[in-house]
Amino acid sequence: MTIVVGYVPKPEGRAALRAALDEADRRAESLHVLNTSRGDALVDPSYASPQDLEDVRRLLEEAGVEFDLEHRVGGRDGAEEVVEAAEKQNASLIVIGLRRRSPTGKLIFGSNAQRILLDAPCPVLAVKAPAGEAAGHLH
Amino acid sequence: MSSVVGDGTSRTGRPVREAPWAEAVFPVALTALGVFTIVDATRIFVPGSANTLGPRAFPYAVGALLVAVGVVLVIGLARGHRGDAEDSEDVDSGVGTDWPTVAKLTGSFAALVVLIEPLGWPVAATVLFGGTAWSLGARPWWRPMLVGAVLAVVVHVVFTQMLGLFLPAGPLDGVRFFG
Amino acid sequence: MGDFAALLDGFTTAVQPIYLLYALIGVTLGTAVGVLPGIGPAMTVALLLPLTYTLEPTAALIMFAGIYYGGMYGGSTTSILLNTPGESASIITALEGNAMAKAGRGAAALATAAIGSFIAGTLATVALTLLAPAIADVAVKLGPQDYVALMVVAFLTVAALLGSSPARGIAALAVGLFLGLVGTDTLTAQQRFTFGVPALADGIDVVVVAVGVFAVGEALYVASRMRRGPIPLVPISGKFMTKDDMRRSWRPWLRGTAVGFPIGTMPAGGAEVATFLSYSLERRLSKRKHEFGNGAIEGVAGPESANNAAAAGVLVPLLTLGLPTSATAAIIIAAFQSYGIRPGPLLFQNESALVWALIASLYIGNVLLLVLNLPLVGVWVKLLQIPRPYLYAGILTFAALGSYSVGASTSDVVLLFLLGVLGWTMRRFGYPIAPAVVGLILGPIAEEQLRRTLAISQGDLTALVTSPFAALAYTALVVFMVLGWWLKRRQARTEAELAAAARAESQPAVVEGGRR
Repeated sequence: MTIVVGYVPKPEGRAALRAALDEADRRAESLHVLNTSRGDALVDPSYASPQDLEDVRRLLEEAGVEFDLEHRVGGRDGAEEVVEAAEKQNASLIVIGLRRRSPTGKLIFGSNAQRILLDAPCPVLAVKAPAGEAAGHLH
Repeated sequence: MSSVVGDGTSRTGRPVREAPWAEAVFPVALTALGVFTIVDATRIFVPGSANTLGPRAFPYAVGALLVAVGVVLVIGLARGHRGDAEDSEDVDSGVGTDWPTVAKLTGSFAALVVLIEPLGWPVAATVLFGGTAWSLGARPWWRPMLVGAVLAVVVHVVFTQMLGLFLPAGPLDGVRFFG
Repeated sequence: MGDFAALLDGFTTAVQPIYLLYALIGVTLGTAVGVLPGIGPAMTVALLLPLTYTLEPTAALIMFAGIYYGGMYGGSTTSILLNTPGESASIITALEGNAMAKAGRGAAALATAAIGSFIAGTLATVALTLLAPAIADVAVKLGPQDYVALMVVAFLTVAALLGSSPARGIAALAVGLFLGLVGTDTLTAQQRFTFGVPALADGIDVVVVAVGVFAVGEALYVASRMRRGPIPLVPISGKFMTKDDMRRSWRPWLRGTAVGFPIGTMPAGGAEVATFLSYSLERRLSKRKHEFGNGAIEGVAGPESANNAAAAGVLVPLLTLGLPTSATAAIIIAAFQSYGIRPGPLLFQNESALVWALIASLYIGNVLLLVLNLPLVGVWVKLLQIPRPYLYAGILTFAALGSYSVGASTSDVVLLFLLGVLGWTMRRFGYPIAPAVVGLILGPIAEEQLRRTLAISQGDLTALVTSPFAALAYTALVVFMVLGWWLKRRQARTEAELAAAARAESQPAVVEGGRR
């Protein structure tokens, strides 16, 4: 079985990655780390840079879990990608990070987390970034 | 351990070259336009005084210029002088023309032209914005429609109420803030 | 009244709260739209034109000056933070500034661009203030044959020097000239090339053409082959300006101004040639040549200053002779014309208060830009996250708004779309857009002056070249062509060198840039 984690290069994404690592350890399962972009904007802060991705890879390798890193431009929302990956991998768990969003933002763009919760084929673990974490390092 | 790292962008791809005849369309059209200009200019009425430059001379010159430059370009193309498509931040020079998208976009624009007078700017602009954003890939369809509706109404109120420009309000005519 | 007193009068107008507000709105909107990917200064100015339709001329032109300077500036922010293959005037900034940002000196790059733009913009506006009235005084005495000479100079330089080959430039010019023919002939009051369509009787509105070929054309072009995928954004990091940055920047700022302003005043000079020239100058003078290409602050300071100085330089022929030397300038002329004001030598006599208020507002706009830009960088960066579908939908919506509100008729909207298809085709096959817009604006004026000349001379063609000014202009044309050709070659050489340097750079392992 596999744990699917939706990674974004932001505090909540790093929190999700750490939580997913803990879970993978506990359950002795592999990790499928997913970072995608709809790719329709010139700049997408959720899309990891090659360097950031390298950091993620190093962290995963140091942790010694079996992992898979999926990083691509897909033309679809993050929520859809995560749910689809979970279905494809027959995942036992989805791990996502939560962030605050204004009510208007929710109205227009919806909440990725909510969509994942509703559509997920498996249990979902949602974590928040620890309070006061600077947008900084993984370690 | 495996990893799938796809880039998804093809920024390094060589520009796709379309058939040479596609590039020849523009110069040929220029030549045709030039011929038309010259022919049509002969129908311009020239009043009296013969020793001054009449209303035909300049059109003749423009027509001749169009023909000449069109021919030069066609010859140039035949010799392999091809134009480079303009660079732009949002253009992927490695792909061919996406005709379905262009058609959808044209449809959205046509919808605006048809709808603006009977249904007013707010409705027509919503359709234009929503339709264009949808044809360019925004999903689900109601999201660009919603954004378009908000934008169209804000623009309508700002331009008609604050800037005093005329925009048709359609069925909203007479409603406060819409004109 | 002396020019200085007139300028002071201009300031007293421009600092009125309401005009300050218009300047502020103009600068903010201009920067915001200029920052957006895919939108160059010409399109910025064209898209925002409808905002000024119903304002009185002074307010409109003050706002417009803000939009112009803001739009010129907006592009540099994008270039520093993203290495985008965007409009040519910011290629250098994209290269050198982006390299700085990657090396963790993004803040310094933004700062030197902002301060350099301010200094260059202000100094160049001073030059404009001193030079323009003097040129206007001379230009008042020009006869119709002299104007014909000026138009010929403008046509040939713009067509020959913009675009990849002279034939393509001339083709674009010819299209513009044809579009200019459509409408009612002023001297014989008969319709020409209107195809019996009543909406064409008044000619094709320049605004519709500008918005059509720039905005709709670009939107169609992008739609037809849209890029999927983001470009990595370099986070802004580092100190704003250290003493060392300051010491390395001030000379390039001044040199950039000195290079940019005169080039801006030349037909077809424009901003891009100025930036390339300034860049190669800085590199030649620098003791740290190896830093160029890897984030040399001089390589941002000089070209950015040159860019803004050229933007002010463009206003000299525009205000004094009514000659647009760039696409953006052509649209500004269209804005003037929509108020029934024809830029030219008489502007300083007939519309003195207006012109001086405009010039004063250029100084104010520069200050506003300096104050606004650095603190608002975060906001500008957010704009880059707008998804392309929404961005281009917005562009088309505003384009439709602009063309419809010109005359409240749907035929203008249809025309807009057709012109958009023309703009798309021209982009797709590598024809420059600017000569078409210049041809459209100057064509009718050229015809009128030509016919007037020959009416006065009773059909004697030698009248066209015998006036001293005209003779001088044709001589200057030859000089311009040679000079322009030389500048182009320099630019091509700099580009080739840059490409070679970039290739050499990418061969060995790339040095790790600082992160976050």
